[in-house]
Amino acid sequence: MKTHQRKIPKQPASCLGALIVVLVMLLAGCERSPQPQFRLNNVELIKQERLNLDDGEHFPEHYPTELSNILTALFGTPNEPRFPFLLGEDDDAHEILSLENLELAAGPVSSGRKGEPSGLYREHCVQCHGITGDGAGPTAAFLTPYPRDFRMGKFKFKSTPLGKPPTDEDLSRIIRHGIPGTAMPSFQTLSPTEVAALIDYVKYLSIRGQYERRLMSELASMDGDPLLDLSLIEKEDDSEAEENHEIFEEQLYTVVGEYCSEEIVARWIDPDSKITEVPAAPQSYSIESADHKKLIETGQALFRGKANCVQCHGDTGLGDGATDNHDAWTKDWLNTTGVDVNLPESYQHFIDAGAMRPKKIRPRNLRMPVFRGGNRPEDTYRRIINGIEGTPMPSSPTLTPEEIWALVAYVRAMPYELSDEGIGQNESHAPVNEQAIR
Amino acid sequence: MNRIWSILFFLVPILGVATFIMAASGIGPLKGAWLPENYAQSGETIDHLFNVIHLICAAIFISTGTAIGWFVWKFADRGDVNVDTNGKARKARYIHGNWKLELLWTVIPGFILLFIAFYQMNAWSETRLNRPAIEIDGQMVPKPPLVLVKAKQFGWEFHYAGADQKIHTQDDLYVENKLVIPDDETIVMQMESRDVIHSFFVPKLRLKQDIVPGMTQFAWFTPTGKAKMGIICAELCGWGHSQMKGTLEIVSRAEFNQYITELESENRPAELAENE
Repeated sequence: MKTHQRKIPKQPASCLGALIVVLVMLLAGCERSPQPQFRLNNVELIKQERLNLDDGEHFPEHYPTELSNILTALFGTPNEPRFPFLLGEDDDAHEILSLENLELAAGPVSSGRKGEPSGLYREHCVQCHGITGDGAGPTAAFLTPYPRDFRMGKFKFKSTPLGKPPTDEDLSRIIRHGIPGTAMPSFQTLSPTEVAALIDYVKYLSIRGQYERRLMSELASMDGDPLLDLSLIEKEDDSEAEENHEIFEEQLYTVVGEYCSEEIVARWIDPDSKITEVPAAPQSYSIESADHKKLIETGQALFRGKANCVQCHGDTGLGDGATDNHDAWTKDWLNTTGVDVNLPESYQHFIDAGAMRPKKIRPRNLRMPVFRGGNRPEDTYRRIINGIEGTPMPSSPTLTPEEIWALVAYVRAMPYELSDEGIGQNESHAPVNEQAIR
Repeated sequence: MNRIWSILFFLVPILGVATFIMAASGIGPLKGAWLPENYAQSGETIDHLFNVIHLICAAIFISTGTAIGWFVWKFADRGDVNVDTNGKARKARYIHGNWKLELLWTVIPGFILLFIAFYQMNAWSETRLNRPAIEIDGQMVPKPPLVLVKAKQFGWEFHYAGADQKIHTQDDLYVENKLVIPDDETIVMQMESRDVIHSFFVPKLRLKQDIVPGMTQFAWFTPTGKAKMGIICAELCGWGHSQMKGTLEIVSRAEFNQYITELESENRPAELAENE
């Protein structure tokens, strides 16, 4: 009897099995994910090259590593932040932030024994603002406007004038209330401790980012020499050792002391003293007041005349005036020579380095009752007198407080203004922008 | 031997039922896994409906589970039992269709569904159709909403109607993610979306309302006590869906009025607020 025996090629089969296992592991990734690191501001680096070097030239290759080393030495890593300015207990820098707060906000998301959370920044902020605070988190590209890049030290909605940092209260309001009309949500459910920790972490990222920019702006003048020449202190027995030490200390002083001084760190001390005071509103500001209508008419005249709001916000206030502009965070690199906003290939290297694709900034549609910088009249007052940092909205030093209050009254009535220019007389008339309040 | 499998199989419905009983009576690790506390009048009706439907399901689940378990036990392949006189394994009979059985298991569930449909009708119309009315100038009109819930990616905006009791006017009071309401009236909420579909879900009020862009929805409830509870979004609305949380506080009328006054004073310049 003839039996059929199937030959089973045993080894190839088991080999195939092993291969599949390896493939799956390769695809899934069996390593632990690497520790998160702060990203170097490559956009600024390229910008400085373009500003200072001839076309096609680059900074020496050792600079990026050196910059990273200096920044890590001073500011630590996303898991272990440092703030080198907290010298001694009485140092003014303690007013800026506390290390405990930084530690609460930094690090991976986790919670302690009693459920107290840590890693707050990575839990709530990082997906938009990015680990470095560069406003380029994973979701950033899909948002309009882009999330804030903290590294320029510029903040839009604050109670202090242009160029001055926001107060803790300003940052707290933004975190707690969010920014209506943008993707910034409200974190009303966080405890005050958690909000305070996040405020300090935002300031930390901002100072770190500004310092990084400052270091990069010095590279061109270094002529290829290292910012900190460590070889100077390597040779202890050299005859010039003492002299070299002195040179090194000088370098150290410049890099740490001088670059970090007033404009980057000290500006954050006591910003409350720089708050723009809001003078008393006239009685006619109250909607119930008999003169309220008159105040609004004054505001309307100013809007079209002296204050010239129509130039950008448009004749109708729909935000359709000057629409061909960019914010400061984009202009920062967009204004580099050789970059043309209409030619994407002319700035592709910036995009590759991590810049966000330029989006035009639109003046606010004032027919929408959405106030990004806060709903209080004083917020609107400060937006008008101080302008909005980083945007084309200018400050208005020539307007008197009475005029500004009239503008505030008009702007806040605009979403509800009726198309026959009468205000609230006949409700059957459609508002100027029916969409605005629906 | 093969009856072990039928026992193992039967363990599944038994464990399932045990889990439900433990959860419903709050025993062991499942304590607190049943319904949360209820703070709305209509919540009792909804809980009652939930329990009734649950009991119906439980009855069907237990009877079918037992029947299947019994069949698996009875007809398990035990080698020596299911053989014919010749010692060969008995062949299974192939049955195609049973008109009577099919009629039975179509008609009975049909009646159950009809029963549920009629049984819940009042609850549905009370919580979804008949918005509370108030009398204005001798006419019954739908009660105006106290607050506009504006859902957006990813948060809740609340616009109180303000002094004129109208929404979308200049005296609206605006606050994010924190809704405070008084405990002594039926609360009507108007709901709109800024972007995509959201769903306003407050488990402790047994209230869930989808919010569809372009549509205006209303939801209402009558609170039964002071409490603080969570609002969550129950419709996947994007990457931040899980972060879309708010709080709802039911407070006394006095506390509510104080809260509204605080919001109003934020809405006017400091000097004017002091003068009043």
